[in-house]
Amino acid sequence: MQAKQKAELRRHLVAYSFIAPNFIGFALFTLAPMVFAFILAFLDWDGSPYNPMKFVGLENFIRLSDDSQFAAAFKNTIIYTIATVPLTLVMALVIALLLNRKMRGRDFFRTVSFFPYVASMVAVTAVWNMLFNPGMGPINQFLASIGVQNPPGWSTDKDWAMATVVLFSVWKYMGYYMIIYLAGLQGVNTELYEAANLDGCNGWQRFWNVTLPQLSPTTFFILIMLVVQCFKVYDIVYMITQGGPGTATLVMVYDIYNKAFVNSTFGLASAEAMVLFLLVLAVTLIQFGVQKKQEV
Amino acid sequence: MRCMKHFVVAALIATATMGGLLANGTKEGASSASAGKQTTLNWAVWDINSTAYYKPIIDAYEVKNPNVKINMVDLGSADFMTALQTQLASGSSEFDVVTIKDIPGYNNLVKKNMVVNLNDYIKKDGVDTNLYGGTAEQISVDGKLYALPFRSDFWVIFYNKALFDKAGVPYPTNDMTFEQYDALARKMTSGNGANKVYGAHYHTWRSTVQLFGILDGKHVITQPPYDYLKPYYEMVLSEQKDGICQNYATLKASSLHYSGQFQNGTVAMMNMGSWYIATLIQKIKNGEADAAKEWGIVKYPHAQGVAPGTTLGTITSLSISQGSKQKDAAWDFVKFVTSPECAAVIAKTGTIPAIMSDKVVDEISSMDGFPADANSKEALHVAKAYLEMPLHDKAGQIETVLNQYHDAIITGNISVDDGLKKMAEDVRKVLGQN
Repeated sequence: MQAKQKAELRRHLVAYSFIAPNFIGFALFTLAPMVFAFILAFLDWDGSPYNPMKFVGLENFIRLSDDSQFAAAFKNTIIYTIATVPLTLVMALVIALLLNRKMRGRDFFRTVSFFPYVASMVAVTAVWNMLFNPGMGPINQFLASIGVQNPPGWSTDKDWAMATVVLFSVWKYMGYYMIIYLAGLQGVNTELYEAANLDGCNGWQRFWNVTLPQLSPTTFFILIMLVVQCFKVYDIVYMITQGGPGTATLVMVYDIYNKAFVNSTFGLASAEAMVLFLLVLAVTLIQFGVQKKQEV
Repeated sequence: MRCMKHFVVAALIATATMGGLLANGTKEGASSASAGKQTTLNWAVWDINSTAYYKPIIDAYEVKNPNVKINMVDLGSADFMTALQTQLASGSSEFDVVTIKDIPGYNNLVKKNMVVNLNDYIKKDGVDTNLYGGTAEQISVDGKLYALPFRSDFWVIFYNKALFDKAGVPYPTNDMTFEQYDALARKMTSGNGANKVYGAHYHTWRSTVQLFGILDGKHVITQPPYDYLKPYYEMVLSEQKDGICQNYATLKASSLHYSGQFQNGTVAMMNMGSWYIATLIQKIKNGEADAAKEWGIVKYPHAQGVAPGTTLGTITSLSISQGSKQKDAAWDFVKFVTSPECAAVIAKTGTIPAIMSDKVVDEISSMDGFPADANSKEALHVAKAYLEMPLHDKAGQIETVLNQYHDAIITGNISVDDGLKKMAEDVRKVLGQN
């Protein structure tokens, strides 16, 4: 009896030892900080090891509700996500469909469209800032040369700054999702196309009734990835607009960074992080719900 | 028996370690000049390669204290104070001496207890804080000093003599009202395309425009309302519209550095801190600024009824990290860098030390590459300097708001009136006054 228990324990230990390397790293660098951030949301702390943390209950959340930076960041994050997700999805799908055909130079174009994703963020944002410079950028010079009277101020105009950031995001990430769509397209059963052809479907009908439904698991995966990625956008905004002009492109993660590391209000920052977490959780749960309904 | 042996060994080790600690402690207490033990002090700084005075300071100190080695750690200039806070938050003792770059950051470090109160040291060694010309008072928190200044920069107008000569316009003077300054900038603007000369240049910091408003001494930037900033925003916005200065939006979007703009000879006048003197001299020596070889400085423009020489000030100071294990040795270095003796060393590099005297003014104005005219030398005399950001409990948060609305106003994304109104509202919120 005892021997059996021992063997059982050994079996477990072996299993644990296999997941240990990954789990220790995860626990140390992800799980613990997450739990800590959750606790911090209810504390008042300036981030100093020499100063005490004070329990303040829900005060951080109450302060957030009257925080104009947070209000702007919340709104901007939603706008950014609503604009970026469908655009990226459609662009990725269109390019994937085009590059799935047998054509000359297909591999070259596949590589080219993947390139923005692998290019360094710092380098490409510098190029974008140059291209879209309101005064001397080639884009506005081109617009002026074809007779556009008041070319947009792009990243420096409050009405265009968000559009500039969205445009950049779509360009930067569509290549990555195109690859995922391409992989999905390889899995579509060709017999279905043959059947559709026999039924006399045209190209559009084939796409609508065969390709799209067959791709729906891929689309669902991309949708979730994209939404999460959009909610936590930071680097692009930091590199292109620094949240400006004013608060026109201030997003939640940027505001969290400001609140924690610039203003030293770690409790307030963690409270905002909790709001962001709940937002992502809610949206993801809704998506899962919709997906399940479709499957039924 | 074996057990006993282990216990004895353990006890011996423990005693030895404790003894070592105690010995260290006493050694630490002794003056750093005591012979034998080598001390290494870590000093947090930014831009090692482009700052002229670090090496002369360290050389001067190490000659006097052969047992001490100063090791600089560069945290970069862009987010220096944020990076420093993050480093110190780990509670590690990597840094002994830390440089304080700005007031909001200083305020944060003090509040977080990350830097040491220097009052006892100052008293013990009889350091005379009056030498710093009032700057020490500006950074004392409830009568306690957590840093001592070693650099004290102030804002002046740099101008390109060659451009003025070419236009046949007399040079700016040490006594200019804002109206005269604006008129001169307009007069100096000419040309198009590659020949364009801008009369004025404002870098993308809020200080370059916003802080014209505080020079009358009646207003403090941490205290709303901000209606008094309106004439200055209107002056610069209208200059922007008329092409007198470059567009903020263009400058920001392309992250253009002010030094390049002045050095390529397209800017007649530029308001900037005195730190640029040393850089400009160096750039001219390296042949990187031929178009601005003939340059001069004059005092900041002033409002009607305000004394010429009233300007903005920025102080750079040194603190000792709370986590340092060699605080006494660190103090000895801080004391040296902020001393009159070191002020002369700093002045030799064209940098303005915190301790100003006629000797220091002579030292700077007689250095190779400094403009020879009397006005430039006279411009080094400051009547009154207001800190770019005064010490305030909420300095960091106020700074964020001021920057955001400056950005929105100067890019024309919000009207001056609305922008200033909202700026006041948000600052009041930070202050808890609404």
